[in-house]
Amino acid sequence: MNKYSMLLRREFWENKAIWIIPAAIGGVLVLGTLFGRVHIDTVASPAQVRAVAKAVLFGLSILFFIMMSIYAGWYTLDCLYADRKDRSILFWKSMPVSDTETVLSKLLMAVIVIPLVYFLIADVTLLLMSFIISIRLSDLVGGGFWYADNWLQLQAAWVYLIVTVAIWYLPFTAWLLLISALVRRAVVLWSILPPLAVMLAEHWFFGSRVLLTLLSNRSIGYPAAAFHDVNGSMWETTPLGTQSGDGKIELPRSIWTLIDPLAFLSSPGTWIGLAVGAAMIFAAIQLRQRRTEL
Amino acid sequence: MPPLIEARDLTKKYGSHLALDRASFVVEPGRIVGLIGPNGTGKTTALRAILGLSSYEGELRVLGRDPFRERADLMRDACFIADVAVLPAWLRVDHAIDFVAGVHPRFRRDRALALLEKTEVKPGHRMRQLSKGMKTQVHLALTMAIDARLFVLDEPTLGLDLLSRRRFYDALVNDYMDETRTILITTHQVEEVENLLTDVMFIDKGRIVLDASLEAIAARYAAVAVNSDRLDAARAEKPFYERRTLGKTVLYFEQPNIETLAGFGEVHTPSISDLFVAKLSIGAA
Repeated sequence: MNKYSMLLRREFWENKAIWIIPAAIGGVLVLGTLFGRVHIDTVASPAQVRAVAKAVLFGLSILFFIMMSIYAGWYTLDCLYADRKDRSILFWKSMPVSDTETVLSKLLMAVIVIPLVYFLIADVTLLLMSFIISIRLSDLVGGGFWYADNWLQLQAAWVYLIVTVAIWYLPFTAWLLLISALVRRAVVLWSILPPLAVMLAEHWFFGSRVLLTLLSNRSIGYPAAAFHDVNGSMWETTPLGTQSGDGKIELPRSIWTLIDPLAFLSSPGTWIGLAVGAAMIFAAIQLRQRRTEL
Repeated sequence: MPPLIEARDLTKKYGSHLALDRASFVVEPGRIVGLIGPNGTGKTTALRAILGLSSYEGELRVLGRDPFRERADLMRDACFIADVAVLPAWLRVDHAIDFVAGVHPRFRRDRALALLEKTEVKPGHRMRQLSKGMKTQVHLALTMAIDARLFVLDEPTLGLDLLSRRRFYDALVNDYMDETRTILITTHQVEEVENLLTDVMFIDKGRIVLDASLEAIAARYAAVAVNSDRLDAARAEKPFYERRTLGKTVLYFEQPNIETLAGFGEVHTPSISDLFVAKLSIGAA
């Protein structure tokens, strides 16, 4: 067990950005909440406060999740390549750690550990922000930021999102890992250009768009695969007051009614994606075994 | 005891280039073996195969294992420094120790720390802050603290200054070597390791051209410096190589009649470097 935790710790030593980026975002948000100038002269109803609080919690969590996805993609693309670029692979390979263990430890970082770090930092940030807002605007918001159900929904949403995104987008993650183990330079270009070239070639020679359709279905098919289709929208319009002039806000529906783990697990797309991803991870391990230098 | 390394017809192709051409050799336990050859003749390729870093054709067993398929297992009993300066720039010295302690069952932290005590390296240093010589000291401390049966070094002193090189080899011989261990070392600077080795293997164009212990070499080869007036008579004894120096010609003989040679001049055992030059020159001819 010590061996595997050490493989993960090593990733934190090498990639400080794993926690620096979300900590910086969190820090800016907390400082902004602490020292930002507030000017509110309307009196909000409890329903309004609650809606705004939910919007803040979920909106900022989505921001963290998007940043996390971008970083995790970059991490995956770089992780195996970096060892070859600085030749440190010759040191790592002198240890009794198999190539399978190495590649899987990096995959685990990308799809579970890094998201968990962002989750943790997002939670701490939001707790601090809610705390500060509740004090600074106590007259206005009261306990509006402390509905237990909102917080529970947030935790559930993070966990559900991390797991299902890891599975659904495994083919993409595995592709980045494969490129990271394979190419000698320009990892970003190599990750994008070959699929693009195949798409163009396919279009010119056969006039078809099979790959494009496959990739775009995978890219945008996630919400439909993992969530209930609640009247075609995951968002609901929440009126901000009792009168029509009080405005409205778009909020995500309750996570409890949205998530659909059974449908996700019984969708063929989920398993096909897992199989394709596993095949590419296997290939990445083979490459890691054979490619020692750039 | 079975041999530590056993290679039979070890072959490695890069495209049409034969980096290793049916090389066969055996390394016995307790030896310090020098794998010596010009640059680009298969030394590193052979080591990479032995360490499980590349695939190969032919048969190869290292500590009874197939190195390519069982590299992780092999690395419990074998360790290597492949070239200097491969410790990543971001790694801190204390973290490097933590890491090896965490993944290697045979690593002794106290030993690594004791070895580092003797250097100017501090635990909080990052590799990027260290000179090449200091980095090599760190790497050597990490590696020598592993209770391994086989230690492989590939051009370990490349790019080091004279002082660092001397320290490196002193540490290796004084703090590490004992009869339970085997060291395999490649270098193209023969003079540097000459006094260290118990065995040598010469490799040229992917083939092993000589594989012998130093005692065997002393018994098998002789050189004699001959004045020009006796040169023709000495040549009749069929030297395999000759070299001109300061008015004399040094003739090299394989399995000579020492008494006959003594008549031409002072007979001596050729140094490894001279033998290397002699062997490889006839190969090139």
